[in-house]
Amino acid sequence: MSENILRVEDLHMSFFTSAGEVKAVGGVTFDVRKGEVLGIVGESGSGKSATMLSVMGLQGTSGRIKSGRIMFNDEDMSMMNMNEIRGRKISMIFQDPMTSLNPVLTIGYQLEEALRRHKWKGDIHSRALEMLERVGVVPAEKRIKQYPHEFSGGQRQRIMIAMAMICEPELLIADEPTTALDVTVQAQILDLMKELQKSSGMSVILITHDLGVIAGNADRVLVMYGGQIMEMGTRHDIFYSSAHPYTKGLLRSVPNPDMPKERLIPIEGQPPDLLNPPKGCPYVKRCPEAMKICMNQKPERIMLSESHCYSCWLGVKNNA
Amino acid sequence: MLSVENLKKYFYTSNGIVHSVDGVSFNLRKGETLGLVGESGCGKTTTGRTIIKLYEPDEGKIIFDNQDITHITQNEMLPFRKRIQMIFQDPYASLNPRMTAGDIVREPMIIHGIPKDEHDDRINHLMRLVGLNSEQAGRYPHEFSGGQRQRIGIARALAVEPELIICDEPISALDVSIQAQIVNMLEDLQNQLGLTYLFIAHDLSMVRHISTRVAVMYLGKIVELADSDELYTNPKHPYTLSLMSSIPIPDPEKSDSRKHIPLKGEIPNALNLPEGCSFHPRCPNAKPECRSLDVTLKDIGNGHLCSCPFTE
Repeated sequence: MSENILRVEDLHMSFFTSAGEVKAVGGVTFDVRKGEVLGIVGESGSGKSATMLSVMGLQGTSGRIKSGRIMFNDEDMSMMNMNEIRGRKISMIFQDPMTSLNPVLTIGYQLEEALRRHKWKGDIHSRALEMLERVGVVPAEKRIKQYPHEFSGGQRQRIMIAMAMICEPELLIADEPTTALDVTVQAQILDLMKELQKSSGMSVILITHDLGVIAGNADRVLVMYGGQIMEMGTRHDIFYSSAHPYTKGLLRSVPNPDMPKERLIPIEGQPPDLLNPPKGCPYVKRCPEAMKICMNQKPERIMLSESHCYSCWLGVKNNA
Repeated sequence: MLSVENLKKYFYTSNGIVHSVDGVSFNLRKGETLGLVGESGCGKTTTGRTIIKLYEPDEGKIIFDNQDITHITQNEMLPFRKRIQMIFQDPYASLNPRMTAGDIVREPMIIHGIPKDEHDDRINHLMRLVGLNSEQAGRYPHEFSGGQRQRIGIARALAVEPELIICDEPISALDVSIQAQIVNMLEDLQNQLGLTYLFIAHDLSMVRHISTRVAVMYLGKIVELADSDELYTNPKHPYTLSLMSSIPIPDPEKSDSRKHIPLKGEIPNALNLPEGCSFHPRCPNAKPECRSLDVTLKDIGNGHLCSCPFTE
């Protein structure tokens, strides 16, 4: 057995819409190690959610994986019955807890549904109560009979976490889990997720656009843009020695906690149109250091250290 | 420039009275940016909308440029609307999809009787001012990205040369790299045109960046108000302390060494406000007397206002 729980190899995924083919993921390769929190940071359209939907087999009827492999515990996921995996081995929580819960069923029914579906050995009701207590939805006996509208946004997200973790998954994918929440509630939910991750030893993929959330919660970080991975490394690599112009630009566009009044340095321009993605690097039109080659050819991945790599022609040039 | 005194706005629902804004007072000085922060349901948006009289205030006073506008009619309000404009959070919902960008920017000029022969020149000028080009005036909102739509919303607000702009979460719906573009543009426009902003937001680090002073709201009341550096480096109210300690910091080491002061539970239902200081059920330092406390903002030195009497 390797130390990786998940390996994504050269994944290409597109959505086929009436306007044409949207190349949401254009060749993405990464690993998730056992017991780690991998943060994925990127803006809308960067392909971070599309990559995860592919992993879960939830790309829908308009989405299609065109090439690449996804390995879970060294086994090719295309050979697996996803109904056995989803909710059991890999779980997912989403940004909006209200639309993820069924409004006409009690939360108890929805929690127990996963256990019934996956033929949980043991008492289903007491397991549901136990999970509610662990995520701090108390008194569990009373709350388990209530409906989603009787809970606040933060509590609904706690319920989503309980539901995702009720079958003790090996990998939890959290897609913007705190974006819809207020900052004090966000801190509570992130603390809860950290605690549950530590005690269960599961791996977590934390997707967010908030660099602060990444800095405080991820072991390793993957920076995505225009359907591709721009840079990958430990959080120290990314925040203290970022190499890719996009990562640098992103870090400069948020206020510096030491110099909060300093003028921001935005990334000029707009994200690429994935109906007609650039032939070369997706960041080429906004990159202050773009060269001719960046227009036409995708850069290769350059290793800076064992943990740190990035994809940029500048690095190729500097190495030569 | 603007003075708000003990402003109250209640909403009467079938379940009872929601005390959205429950005695808010502050002054806004010419040329400054006052940040108004707080969590959802604290009344910050309602405060902004009541000031521009999208809602009729229930109590208190709104004084703009030495004139009491609290209870004037919509017709009498019109000249003030020219001077106070608003930018909204959602750049998708706040632009009419059937109007071109140019017509969206033209509409306030028609309402406020700006001579027709000036319209086109002004539209061209405004489009360039917000970083778009004048050819784009003929396009419809769906042809623009989120950041560009927000620029159109800003051009519309600027069309009648206002003095005060109420910015209600103007960057919350935008991507990080685009947020910085819009914030820089708002700062530049303020310098060029001498604008005053009331900047309502929940992104605390961006508010610190853009604001001269910041007011923190909790359950319809301002609990603390100070110069922004003072508020962020020396917060006094227990709610502000907890709020500040919850801001995610984009720096791993600072993030690890910082101590987070968790709050108990969540913001209570505004239908049933707690007695006394409304923060006491969640306050880490609550004392028995907080249940019957009459909380008002007091100056604790150098214009730093705080409603909690138990700060060191």
